[in-house]
Amino acid sequence: MSDDPGVLSAPLIIEYPFSRTTGPVIGAFLTGLREKVLLGIKGSDGRVIVPPTEYDSFTGEDLTELVEVGPGGEVLTWAWVRGPMAKHPLSHPFAWALVKPDGADVGFLQVVDAGSPEAMATGMRVRPRWGDEREGSIHDLACWEPDV
Amino acid sequence: MPKELVAVVGVGQTKHQATRGDVSMAGLVREAATRALADAEMTWSDIDAVVVGKAPDFFEGVMMPELYLADALGATGKPLFRVHTAGSVGGSTAIVAAQLVQAGIHQRVLTVAFEKQSESEAMWALSMPIPFQPPLHAGAGGYFAPHIRSYMARSNAPDHIGILVALKDRLNALKNPYAHLHEPDISFDSIKDSMMLWDPIRYAETCPSSDGACAMVLASEAVADRSTKPVAWVKGTAMRSEPTMSADRDPVLPRGGSDCAADVYQQAGITDPRRQVDCVEMYVPFSWFEPMWLENLHFAPSGEGWKYVEDGVTGLDGDLPVNMSGGVLSSNPIGASGMLRFAEVALQVRGMAGDHQVPDARTAVGHAYGGGSQFFSMWVVGADKP
Repeated sequence: MSDDPGVLSAPLIIEYPFSRTTGPVIGAFLTGLREKVLLGIKGSDGRVIVPPTEYDSFTGEDLTELVEVGPGGEVLTWAWVRGPMAKHPLSHPFAWALVKPDGADVGFLQVVDAGSPEAMATGMRVRPRWGDEREGSIHDLACWEPDV
Repeated sequence: MPKELVAVVGVGQTKHQATRGDVSMAGLVREAATRALADAEMTWSDIDAVVVGKAPDFFEGVMMPELYLADALGATGKPLFRVHTAGSVGGSTAIVAAQLVQAGIHQRVLTVAFEKQSESEAMWALSMPIPFQPPLHAGAGGYFAPHIRSYMARSNAPDHIGILVALKDRLNALKNPYAHLHEPDISFDSIKDSMMLWDPIRYAETCPSSDGACAMVLASEAVADRSTKPVAWVKGTAMRSEPTMSADRDPVLPRGGSDCAADVYQQAGITDPRRQVDCVEMYVPFSWFEPMWLENLHFAPSGEGWKYVEDGVTGLDGDLPVNMSGGVLSSNPIGASGMLRFAEVALQVRGMAGDHQVPDARTAVGHAYGGGSQFFSMWVVGADKP
């Protein structure tokens, strides 16, 4: 945009709808969230990966063996958000954390609602806080909280 | 420097349909790729490099999908290339893969192309409002309809030619289990009576919106010689491009397409394409492009492409069958549509095209175009080793 009256300007807004087919693996994971169940998948090396992937990252083989993990988990590492912004999942300070659910071999990026950074520690135990209205979305798992 | 020989040793495709609600984008790509590997009697670990193509990312809104598809394509620890040349991308993707073998760099290259139109809005993605310009068209048909009108005026083609092309391709599709549209009751009159969408293009003269993928395994001479199945030798590949908006170009019979054809025939030793080519898969998203491309690709003299259609030359039992598989008019997973043309002619010269096989097809031409009739890709494949 220019304030120069000799330069024409106009908005260009491009929008149209998209949809996604989740397939048998991601679909099962999202359906599980609606039922308060966390699913991972067994990789070719026997490790349990969460969220599950359709194909093995190393061998490229199909992965099919879904495994229930959690409900509790462990914080692998974390970063404190002192001043949440409008689109952050919580309106008060929280931690971004890599949470490894029990039975899984990898962590995934989650929110921990711990109140203060003093309540956070690597290796701490956490439990999931589920949303009240769940629809098969990653947001069904609202966040995690310290399991004390 | 002479090129190494390259051959198609495996072909795979999905069943093309309006919505593949059972698979993710990765699952769709994967289905074609695993079928190509099975046809080639190979596993993921046999593949040296992967080349993937699709039409514009904003169709489905997944930017740079090759990032997310790396594991689905078995590309861990291997070179992975992404190709994009709009609608011709399926063809140009196969050509990039072939060149990796021709250059002596790799022995076995997997190439895949796809589109999941059910997750996208290709028509509106192609009709973006541009500030200070009047909205001239809705979808690709609106862009190409004036080209068709121009062709009809130049060649004095009668109105029903487009209907004949659509009828032929849809009847061919009935012989292809992978084709999207299977319309056993289709007739000249049902096409004629279908809604006029972009005059002169009727609804039934238009390609469908499909979910689908296509894959091929391209191999070096040493690997192809060990194949237990017939292979398709690549006898020539060519690409040409033109600037979209140049007033100096003719989008109806583009020089890029003509030059591309001349180049690929020269490589393949073809001096009389009408006589020396046994069958052709050309990119015909709207029926009238068959007679237009027959002329552009030097199969018919100028102004006479439509006569080949009317005389049945391009029918499955004609002496120059075109779009034996049912073509883009019967299946259009956009990014894959060009590769499907290339793959279908490979199947023909391998004698593996099933019910739509042209008897004793030895030399066949695959063609794709894209953008505003500005990108062209072609290959010639043959049953006989060059």
